[in-house]
Amino acid sequence: MNPKLAHLLMRLYPRLWRERYGAEFEAFLQSRQGGLRESANVVCSALHERISPTREGAMDQDSRSFQAWCVRAPWAIFGLAPIFLLAMAYFVACLYLWSGWKMFLPGADTPFGGPIYGIRNIYFQAGKFYYFGAPVLVGWTTALMAVRQRVKSVWLVVGLILVAWMGSAAQIHASRTAVHGGFGHISMDFPLSASLQSVYQSPLHALTILSLTVLPYLIWLVQKNQSRSV
Amino acid sequence: MGHYSDPPLLVLASLANGPKHGHSMIEDIVRLSGTRLGPGTLYGAISRLERKGWIEPLRPVERRQPYRITAEGLLALRAKLTTLQQFTKAGLKRLEAL
Repeated sequence: MNPKLAHLLMRLYPRLWRERYGAEFEAFLQSRQGGLRESANVVCSALHERISPTREGAMDQDSRSFQAWCVRAPWAIFGLAPIFLLAMAYFVACLYLWSGWKMFLPGADTPFGGPIYGIRNIYFQAGKFYYFGAPVLVGWTTALMAVRQRVKSVWLVVGLILVAWMGSAAQIHASRTAVHGGFGHISMDFPLSASLQSVYQSPLHALTILSLTVLPYLIWLVQKNQSRSV
Repeated sequence: MGHYSDPPLLVLASLANGPKHGHSMIEDIVRLSGTRLGPGTLYGAISRLERKGWIEPLRPVERRQPYRITAEGLLALRAKLTTLQQFTKAGLKRLEAL
């Protein structure tokens, strides 16, 4: 196999695995004929190693591994991390909205309102879909991680409630500087008072997000209990 | 139903008659079971077996890394093959009754 390709394939494995087997595995790959089938086999095995690490020797003591963090600080992984993840997703949403405003509505004072058609409409509808879908996606990702790591559900529930609250309370504002055609600003906030009011006024929104995000986890719990009873 | 494929068991069985490096293991396993393990699958099995203490590395020969089965590995292999043997016997008996 081409030495560069062998090295590249070896690099797909987790660091701790490479430290133990990297050199011999790379030499082994270099001495092989190679081919698409073997490369695909290595890629799949590397992915498997990342999902389910071997934990050989020192790997058990790797305090930086994701699994170790899930055990040591589940509150951070399942309580706080989803909030940061959703904040990042909202940042991207704001950037997307601002870019669309600059590209498609350069003269408008706000990207909201007003009839838009064609490609503009598709662009802003996609953004809206992403904006409303972000909390659900973040919730699903968190629930999936919790299922994989088999953590206690309490931190997951806390994380999902926070995500649902954030999703229902989020408010986007758009404004221009006083000068006509000035620089457009997009901002976002989650005011506590307004958000409490918002949750009160639109409990459906928060409950919908929570239900959607909790649903896959509940299905997994039911399946687990059923398999135990069988 | 294709070839029998349980990579860790195949690697253990291959090492049962002496230490081998990766290439030898792959070729031996093809002769033994008709299954050709990919390099990633082979090393996945090796890393898991080494973690369990069922195989251990020997001193490298040039750039090749040979492995040998440990006493614990032999016990595990014997237990697994015995189970398979019992399973095969029971299955064949049922077929004979047809």
